[in-house]
Order: sequence, then structure tokens, then C-alpha cells
Amino acid sequence: MDKKTVTTISYLSRLKIDEEKEEKITNDLENIIKFVDQLNDIDTSDIEPLTNPLEKTAKTRDDIVTADNLKKELLEIAPSSNEDYFLVPRVVE
Amino acid sequence: MTIRYKTIKEIKNMISHKEISNKELVQEVYKLINENSHLNAFITLNEDSSLKKAENFDNNPSDSSLAGIPIAQKDLFCTKNLRTTCGSKILDNFIPPYSATVIDNLEKAGCISIGKTNMDEFAMGSSNETSYFGNVHNPWGENLVPGGSSGGSASAIAAGIVPAASGTDTGGSIRQPASLCGITGLKPTYGRVSRWGMIAFASSLDQAGPMARTAEDCALLLNEMCSHDIKDTTSLDENIPNFEDDLNQSLKGKKIGVVKDLDLASLDNNVVEVYENSLKEFVSLGAELVDISLPNLSLSVPTYYVVAPAECSSNLSRFDGVKFGRRSQNPKDLEELYIQTRSEGFGDEVKRRILIGSYVLSAGYYDAYYKKAQQVRRLIKKDFDEAFSDVDVIMTPTTRGAAFEMGSKGSDPIQMYLEDLFTISANLAGLPAMSLPNGNIDNKPIGLQIIGNFLDESSILNFAHMYQTKTNWHMLTPEGVTK
Repeated sequence: MDKKTVTTISYLSRLKIDEEKEEKITNDLENIIKFVDQLNDIDTSDIEPLTNPLEKTAKTRDDIVTADNLKKELLEIAPSSNEDYFLVPRVVE
Repeated sequence: MTIRYKTIKEIKNMISHKEISNKELVQEVYKLINENSHLNAFITLNEDSSLKKAENFDNNPSDSSLAGIPIAQKDLFCTKNLRTTCGSKILDNFIPPYSATVIDNLEKAGCISIGKTNMDEFAMGSSNETSYFGNVHNPWGENLVPGGSSGGSASAIAAGIVPAASGTDTGGSIRQPASLCGITGLKPTYGRVSRWGMIAFASSLDQAGPMARTAEDCALLLNEMCSHDIKDTTSLDENIPNFEDDLNQSLKGKKIGVVKDLDLASLDNNVVEVYENSLKEFVSLGAELVDISLPNLSLSVPTYYVVAPAECSSNLSRFDGVKFGRRSQNPKDLEELYIQTRSEGFGDEVKRRILIGSYVLSAGYYDAYYKKAQQVRRLIKKDFDEAFSDVDVIMTPTTRGAAFEMGSKGSDPIQMYLEDLFTISANLAGLPAMSLPNGNIDNKPIGLQIIGNFLDESSILNFAHMYQTKTNWHMLTPEGVTK
């Protein structure tokens, strides 16, 4: 784990790391990765990954509308909106 | 008549015998909250609406199972028209337009949602020191942590303010604070309780459950919390038993798995003594001890610290300042809006976990970390499958020690992660598990963990209830034994 890697994953995470915290975070991440590296000592050939303890496929249901339209309520709790849309800074000049 | 330190069952009796009105009950809860405000157990209170609801029960008495019972709700559950922060600055203004299924279920049963309890930010922590709204204090001693992440819920019950609270558990967040605060808490089987309306941390591990003073109350609460919910694709469509039915079954001939791979030598002697005394108590109740092996148990913490951050980094990508929650001021473009909002809104532990998640999921590392961890996760689950072919429940200490002092884990995150050494495996395997008080070390409570087989909460509750009919650790309060 080096500064360059931390910069890359910070960008992937859309997070900005304060300069004064950069060294501590790099250290922490390094230690955590070292800690989880012990998994590499385990022989897992032919073991299927377990993604979910239920291992059941998600059920489908009939595509019928069950919820009320909450457009007004949802737009009201947005940081910025007009009567139809969420508003963000201009994307296309 | 006071409701302090009372169980749900006792409060129900007080209401039905008219020893207290519903309104007086709720008024006393808010009085207790104010008198104990130093605990910082609550983030948001729901006073007006709760008092109205209580008056309504006084005018129209109801016989539903939780009628008028004050319950504190962890601030991770969306509550309609009531602020829901998840312990984070990024949600400090979030008022959900809907309630989580768990909240709806409990309220349909008549409970009064008194307020929202403090918690580690996004449930990431084991000491309630990562909340944006400040540390929660453990009523058992000055400067002691209550555990986390459901620290506010545990502290409020331990202080006798409410008889019960909701919690959630991704790696021990119900059981570890239950142990450190001397209360009883149950993480159900993955899929037993709907996750709809719970703010997601790690979706393949998260599960909601009850926290209370007794196993009996946990059974009553679980009855109401469970439902098959078509809004959660992992909600199990299985028979839901009445969890109160088997509480009094004899333990004669039932088998307790004792994990021989546990490294008890690394624990405080007192913890081992308390644990072994409880096993003897169960033997005197008729149960048999059977040595079992969980050879991959020690891998559960490193496995968890790949799987949970990976899922968290995906889940928390929704907090971008566009549709709800806090947005940073005056970003110059959309990209800066995302980055500034998230950087200002998340605390250090949350950022650390998102970064780890992005790392283990990124191209080139996915197989080495994420896939590998999921393979080890299967090995851990297989160990449990084999163990449960021989035994009814498995017992371990819940935590490595009693409540520790704030700040004492220093700045090394791994020391804090190891707090959940005994609890994490149940989440990885999806199994139900409970913590109940089983001793006291230097006047601080500590808990016993009972892990059950898939969907077998009833056996856990049976063992726990029988233990609580014979011992009084669950009746201890910071002020001594109250009854």
C-alpha cells in the first residue's frame, strides 16, 4: 500500500483524504491488508465462494404497482430540486 | 410505581392492573431519558407523537401484544417522518418518507417508538465511539464504552429507561453491546427479519433483532419483528414459530457444543471462569456438553474484514448528496459535489472501510481478496454445518472481556476489530445467536453467547430462558439487584 494506491482507491471511492491524515490512513490500510492476508495461507482450491448464507436465488414476483407515487415527498427531502427533478450543478455546457 | 428496570412482561402487568396509565408510563420514560442525558443514548426523541399514542391507549385499551410498550429504535431503521441519521453527519437532516418493515411490524403490535438510539456511524464500530453525535456512555461505570454498534439501545435498556430496543447485528452489533451492558440480545437467522428500510451496511451479513432484559421478552419481540416481506428478496418465506412456545422446555438430554479450538488462554482468567461456571449451570439443568471443532473460527475476523468493507463500499455509494441527506456547499461541478459531500459527511472509520472495500474489489485484487474471503466463508459455514449434526446449540463467551474505557483501544483499528472475535462467525454463516448476562467482573457485566442452528432461534431462547429462571445475572443493574 503506497500513496499512489491510496490516491487511486480514494478516487474510486469519491473520497478526498486530508493531507494531514494521509500517512495515518495509508498505514491503517496497510495493516488491515496485512491482517487479512493470512487468508492466503488457506487452501481453497475447489471451494465455491459463498456470497450469501441463504444460497437461494432471489424470487421474482408479479410486476404490479404496490407503492404509492412518492414523487412529491421524495423531491421535498432532496437537497435541491424543482417540481419534477433533482437538481445538480450543470453537467453539459 | 416506577417502570425503571422493568421488563416488558412486568410493564404489561402494570398496565393491565391499572397500576400506571399509558400516559404516565410514557411520561416517566422521558423523565428517565432527561435524568440520564449524560449517557447520550438517544439522537432524536419522538415525544409528542408518543404521548398522543399513549393517551389513545388510555382511551381505547388494546390487547395487542406490545400495546403501549415503550421501545427505543436504533437510528439505523427508517422511521416515517422521524429523523433517521444512522449516526452520521451525512444523514443529519434525513427524514424518511417511509418506515422500515421491522418498525411497522412492532408498531402494528402496539409499541410506542420513544426515540432513535445513538450508534456507531453506519454501524461501523464496537464501542460507540464513531458516532457523529458523540460517544454513548455505559451506565455501569464512568468512561466505559457500551459496546457497539447498537450502543445507545443497550445503554438505554441497561439504565432501565426502556424495557426493550431494536438493534442490528452485522458482526456482533447486538450481542457485543448486550454483553458489555448486561442485557439480553438476539441476532436472528439471516433472512428471518426483513431488511427493508434498514440502512444497509453489509447486505449479506446485516440482520435486525431484539434487545431486552430477558430472553422471554426477546421471544415476544421476535414474534412481532418477523414476517415474510416481499420487499426484501432475502426475506425467508419459512414457517415462523411462536417463539414463546418452547421457552420452558426441559434441557434434559439436550446437547451443548463446546468449541475446543477456542483460544481461552488469550482471555482474562475471570472471563474463562464465568464462562465455565455457566456451562456447569447448564449441566445442572440436564444438558450435556459435547466437544466440537470449528477449525476455521480464527479466520472469521480477517474474512469479515474483506466481505463487510466490500459490501459497505457498494452500499454507501448511494450517499452522494443528490437525492437525500446532506450536500456540500457550492461545489464547482458534479464530481466535486460527490467528493466533497462524502468527504465532509463520513467519519474516519467509515472512510477507512469504504477504502478497504474499494481496494479488495478493484481490478487485479478481486480474486486475491474478495473471492478468497468468500471461499473461506464457505469453510467457516461448513464447520458449523458439521457441528450442528451433533449438538442443539453452541456456546462461547460473547466478548473477550467486560466493558473497556473510552479511548483505550488506541488508534489501531485492528485492536477494535478483534473485539468481535467470537461474534462474527455467526454472521458469516447466517446463524442465529444471542448474548445473555452470565457474570460480573469488577462490577461490570459480561455475556454468554449461544449460537443456534439455521432457523432455530427457539432452541437458543429455550436455553437462555431456562438459565434465567435459575440465575439472576439478568436482574443485576448498575444500582444492584432491583427485585
